Amino acid sequence: MLTKTARALGIGIVWGIVWLSFLPMVRDTTSSSARLVSIQELPELAEMCPPELPGSISNHVADQQNGNLFSAFQQAPVLAAGQDAGNTTELARSPVRSILDKDPIYSSVSVDMRFNEVFLQDSNTWSIRVFNRLDNTPAGAARTEPKRVIGGPKTDVQFNSCVWIDPVNGDIYSVENDIGDSIVVFSHDAEGDLAPKRHLKITHRGYAMTVDEEKQELFLSVQYPPQVAVYRKEAEGNEKPIRLLQGESTRLADAHGIAIDTRNKLLFVNNWGNISDYQVVGTGRFESPSITIYPIDANGDTPPMRVIQGPKTQLNWPAAMALDPATGDLYVANDVGQSILVFRGTDQGDVAPRRVIKGSKTGLSYPTGVFIDTTNKELWAANLGNSSATVYPLTASGDASPLRVIRSAPEGKISLRFGKTQAVAYDSKRQEILVPN
Amino acid sequence: MHGFGYDPIHDEIVVTSPLTQGILIFRGGAKGEEPPIRVIQGPKTQILGSAYGALDRVSVDPVNNEILLPIVPGGTVKEGGILVFDRQANGDVPPKRVLVGVRGSVAVDSVHNLLVVNTGSSMQIFDRTASGNAKPKAIIQGPKAGVANISSFQVYGTRGWIIGGGSDGSICAWSVMDSGDVAPRWKIPVQKITGYVASGIALDPVHKEIILSAAGQRVRPPSGIMNTVITFSWPEIF
Repeated sequence: MLTKTARALGIGIVWGIVWLSFLPMVRDTTSSSARLVSIQELPELAEMCPPELPGSISNHVADQQNGNLFSAFQQAPVLAAGQDAGNTTELARSPVRSILDKDPIYSSVSVDMRFNEVFLQDSNTWSIRVFNRLDNTPAGAARTEPKRVIGGPKTDVQFNSCVWIDPVNGDIYSVENDIGDSIVVFSHDAEGDLAPKRHLKITHRGYAMTVDEEKQELFLSVQYPPQVAVYRKEAEGNEKPIRLLQGESTRLADAHGIAIDTRNKLLFVNNWGNISDYQVVGTGRFESPSITIYPIDANGDTPPMRVIQGPKTQLNWPAAMALDPATGDLYVANDVGQSILVFRGTDQGDVAPRRVIKGSKTGLSYPTGVFIDTTNKELWAANLGNSSATVYPLTASGDASPLRVIRSAPEGKISLRFGKTQAVAYDSKRQEILVPN
Repeated sequence: MHGFGYDPIHDEIVVTSPLTQGILIFRGGAKGEEPPIRVIQGPKTQILGSAYGALDRVSVDPVNNEILLPIVPGGTVKEGGILVFDRQANGDVPPKRVLVGVRGSVAVDSVHNLLVVNTGSSMQIFDRTASGNAKPKAIIQGPKAGVANISSFQVYGTRGWIIGGGSDGSICAWSVMDSGDVAPRWKIPVQKITGYVASGIALDPVHKEIILSAAGQRVRPPSGIMNTVITFSWPEIF
């Protein structure tokens, strides 16, 4: 088998022969037939000029020696392929390759402790998948099928980043992070492609939510411009927030996870550290990731009471957060850190987490979702990297094996982790396709 | 992260950082949490986004050593435009020039010295070094042209093609010499074939392929899988 280089060179030589054989027809109109002048190695195809069809307009252009080439082109367009302006050649051919992940990519997890159901937000097929809480995919099994799925055009579930279950009535809340700019609410037993029962328009880049049941207030974190918007829990339509925490003093910076401590009246927000004032040139900067803590009723440009930030924290793209009301412990899904970090709710400054769940036995892979099941004393994680949700004892630490795993892809499969494949580039040096998310 | 480009000559990756008003340049082989080798950021850069979304497109011209960044109206460039930086710019540096009043994704034809901007429904073709309030040399626009908005498009200067999005979910090739309401010369009806509407385009001239990225934000694909990268063979344009 030829190597890639050899194959490329071979193609180059073949094209070289064809190209040179046409040369006399272009350059020497007195010649009666094409002649082979020489055979030479040519550079990469991308750098060479392929043959032009006899009689093409560009040949006429090449023959014109009057004036500059550019003006000639303007008179007679078409540089290649002999296609005339005004005619379209449609090429209804199949793709030669496609890259896609047919399995779910889970970004968020929530548990309905009344009905013992687990809800997983799938950002790949734009759906919410519902499982039994005690489902446990056996080793070797391809996957566990969900008991029901909410998804389809009517649901308005798109690039959703958070699923939250109402502990009182089981309503399903889901936050849209990109083009939908909404929170949609479904009844507990919703299934299939159905319209949400409520729809709240929110600021672009909403990421995560939680609810203060006592005050019936819904807290929403917004990545940028960074803010915490507080709505009535039952808000819908274009209803505005009743409070808005935002401004330079807040030290919010690309806000993501959010949690509240209703006992101690605290609001926790984690930040990736990307920040600027979109109205002022030159204000952009990178800060290290942080958790900022405020009074639960903070409003306006309020500075944080405390900040957890620094290299000891291990924070690295912190995503969802959850607070254990019994202990005050704060659980952080630490995406790129491949870990769950547990801080004391009273921590401050550059402090190490009191516990870290991390390691090859944990099954964690780019965890972005976290949920505390206070009834069963369990900790749940949604793993963006391996189409799974993993559950641990609430006191787990270190390289702990999960109690159970809900897996929606074959064991060992590594997810593509596609979030939104908007752009693409080709690295010709390494022959690699680059896909930002 | 939506603004993204690869520089094959200098083996560098160029990325926008919309929330920090910056452009990051990485080694082509960068992986993991490797820091950028250069960062363009600061008040002199004139880089300004918006509350909703901006700074999500970038282009690199490796032949002329330039990085091109479309910006929205406001800030120091009231009308918005295209900021052009030296490729090796680092830190708080002003753009080399600013093309004012045009907004959209941008690509450079270094063979014919043209700068092409996809404004949504049109392809506006400028001299490559156009600056200020320069007018386009040509505009491809109209019902026959069927130019559509796309996040990133390409110009293949070697053959003089503008390869961008068509209004029917297709990927089309217009000539850089086209002007007015001119139908594309070539068309692959990508949406009709695959169910996806592409938002990004990359070219692989060596293998004569076009690589498309598509998410489901415009049209929900029948497959139900919202993110994909699709490759078509397209020897006719290479």
